[in-house]
Amino acid sequence: MNAGTEAALDRIRGDVPARNHNARTISALTSNPGCNRRGVMDAAGIDKERLAAYVGFPVQFGQSQFAITRGNVFEAQVKANGCAELLTLLRDKLELELPEVSYDDLEAVGGNLSREVRHARTRNLLARAASGSEDAGTLFDHPLLRLEVGGRHVYLEPDLIAFQWKGQFHVVEIKSFPVIDGQADGGKVAAAAIQSAVYVLCLRAMLAEQGFPDSAVAHDVVLVCPKDFSNQLTATFVDVRKQLTVLRRQLSRLTRIDELVSLLPPTVSLSISRPAAEVAEDLGLIEARYMPECLNNCELARFCRDESRGCTRVMGRTVSEDLGGVETVETALGLARGSLAPSPEQVEAASLLRLAWSLRAECLGSAA
Amino acid sequence: MIEGWVLLENTGGLYSTTVGESIEGLERMIVELRSAVRHAAMAGDRAQARTLRAELRRAEAAWDDALAELEESAELGEPAVRAPERTRPKPAAPLLPMREQVHHVLTLLTVPAAPRLIVAVHDAFFSGEMISARLTSLRRDEERSYRSAPNARPYYLCPALTADLLAPARGLLSVSTWAMAGRIVGPLSPRVHYLTSAMQVADYITRLDDPRPAAARLLWRFAANIPGAAEGGVRPESVAKAARAELVIHEEADLYDREASAERAARLSPVVQLFGSRLDVVRDKEETG
Repeated sequence: MNAGTEAALDRIRGDVPARNHNARTISALTSNPGCNRRGVMDAAGIDKERLAAYVGFPVQFGQSQFAITRGNVFEAQVKANGCAELLTLLRDKLELELPEVSYDDLEAVGGNLSREVRHARTRNLLARAASGSEDAGTLFDHPLLRLEVGGRHVYLEPDLIAFQWKGQFHVVEIKSFPVIDGQADGGKVAAAAIQSAVYVLCLRAMLAEQGFPDSAVAHDVVLVCPKDFSNQLTATFVDVRKQLTVLRRQLSRLTRIDELVSLLPPTVSLSISRPAAEVAEDLGLIEARYMPECLNNCELARFCRDESRGCTRVMGRTVSEDLGGVETVETALGLARGSLAPSPEQVEAASLLRLAWSLRAECLGSAA
Repeated sequence: MIEGWVLLENTGGLYSTTVGESIEGLERMIVELRSAVRHAAMAGDRAQARTLRAELRRAEAAWDDALAELEESAELGEPAVRAPERTRPKPAAPLLPMREQVHHVLTLLTVPAAPRLIVAVHDAFFSGEMISARLTSLRRDEERSYRSAPNARPYYLCPALTADLLAPARGLLSVSTWAMAGRIVGPLSPRVHYLTSAMQVADYITRLDDPRPAAARLLWRFAANIPGAAEGGVRPESVAKAARAELVIHEEADLYDREASAERAARLSPVVQLFGSRLDVVRDKEETG
């Protein structure tokens, strides 16, 4: 990324510290890769929650403090005493051998918490382990990984252990949602899978830089969750090949941030020190692609939904795909009633709409 | 050099630092310092900002101490006032200072341990209440005490050191009088420490006439994560035996790592040997230079 883009992003963010990407924001970003607004805001490191509240669309609820605390307590339990519980579990389920107990903590390097130092150390240790030297190490806690998103390096700090077993790294994802009778909440497992896939991708990218093949990192991640209603652990293998393909494709499709920023007028700024109306106006200058799914993973979604009221895509992906070429609800109604002549690209959608309209009229009869 | 400290005068007992300023005064000072740091940072004066930040950290540490003292006097003061009304005094007030209690636990375990384990072992075998929140400030107090008057105490509670960088290991406490190799943590050490702790705890239980339920619980928790320890019921002998069996696998490699690091550590200055080196340029110069 060039210096001009960096300066432009600083201007867009205003006088506040930048926020970092994490696995959650990357998986959200890839669920709607065509949204320039989110791309620019994430690249600039804008606090979207604060911005949304500032322009009049506060987030109704955020991450639950109780859930976060529960997650931390469970993670501490799993990792206590040199990962004693995790080792028992891995020995039990995966037949990890008894001598494999080495544990490296990468959270701080000699009291130094800087990301560059930690990343360099992570890279060294994992490369040494991958090259298969004798004291290779088994468990690696809090590695700091790096991923290129839209032409910009972002650091990811997973609460996980990269764990080496039979010459392959496995990502261990510790999640505090329970697995009851062998069943877990599907949505939560899917979210965990895509987050783990982000880490697998980072790990592979890091090892590839040093000439190791992709197969050095397994596509099966180990998901560690509480069992039933107890605090006991259980481990499951989750295959993330599908998520990896999706992620890779979406990341490659992400428009490069340099291009995006160069298209914006040079005065755009989302600094919350400016009047709210002006910020909202500038937000409108950055193209968004609202979809109903955005409500689940973007803090600004309610602003975008309000902005795109009257557009067909507010009704979701299936509707907007059926109505290809028809942008607004008004046009759709006009085409259905036959009061509007369809342009060549709207012909197909128009015939569908007219059919729907006649069916509706037949069903409802005079009531319509 | 390290062994020499044992023979020095015993100043044990009280270890609170005298805080001249009142806690309100400190709070005012912290607020003022914070804004001064911000101004310096905004003006781009890095050197000034760094000095001010160091001062701010000192003020914050002093505030922590003052607060701990307040808490302590509140804890000790309360039963004294109510004592006449009760038939039995409240047993919660610890008879020994915190550092002595921690020292007892670490001496029992013989290996560096995390605060959580220290509290669990203390609850299982010793009397009095150990407040885990105070364990966090303990290490800093010890370091400050050593720096102001080196070797004034028979022992110091200090961090375990990582084998590679000889930096303080996160959350692990050890005793300054231990041999250097015993205070170093290599990649295999967490497991070795765990197994050694299990053996020591099991051993201690066999020597007690009537172990408390908390002791049995502690043993059970160790047994759950050692292969073969819970076969035929959790008994101290079987736990110790199983732990020893696994320990044999790791012991040699671990000791080799730790001794190699201990050799390197011997070349460092005494304060770095005790409290670890940090990858922090300014402090590094101070300590090694």
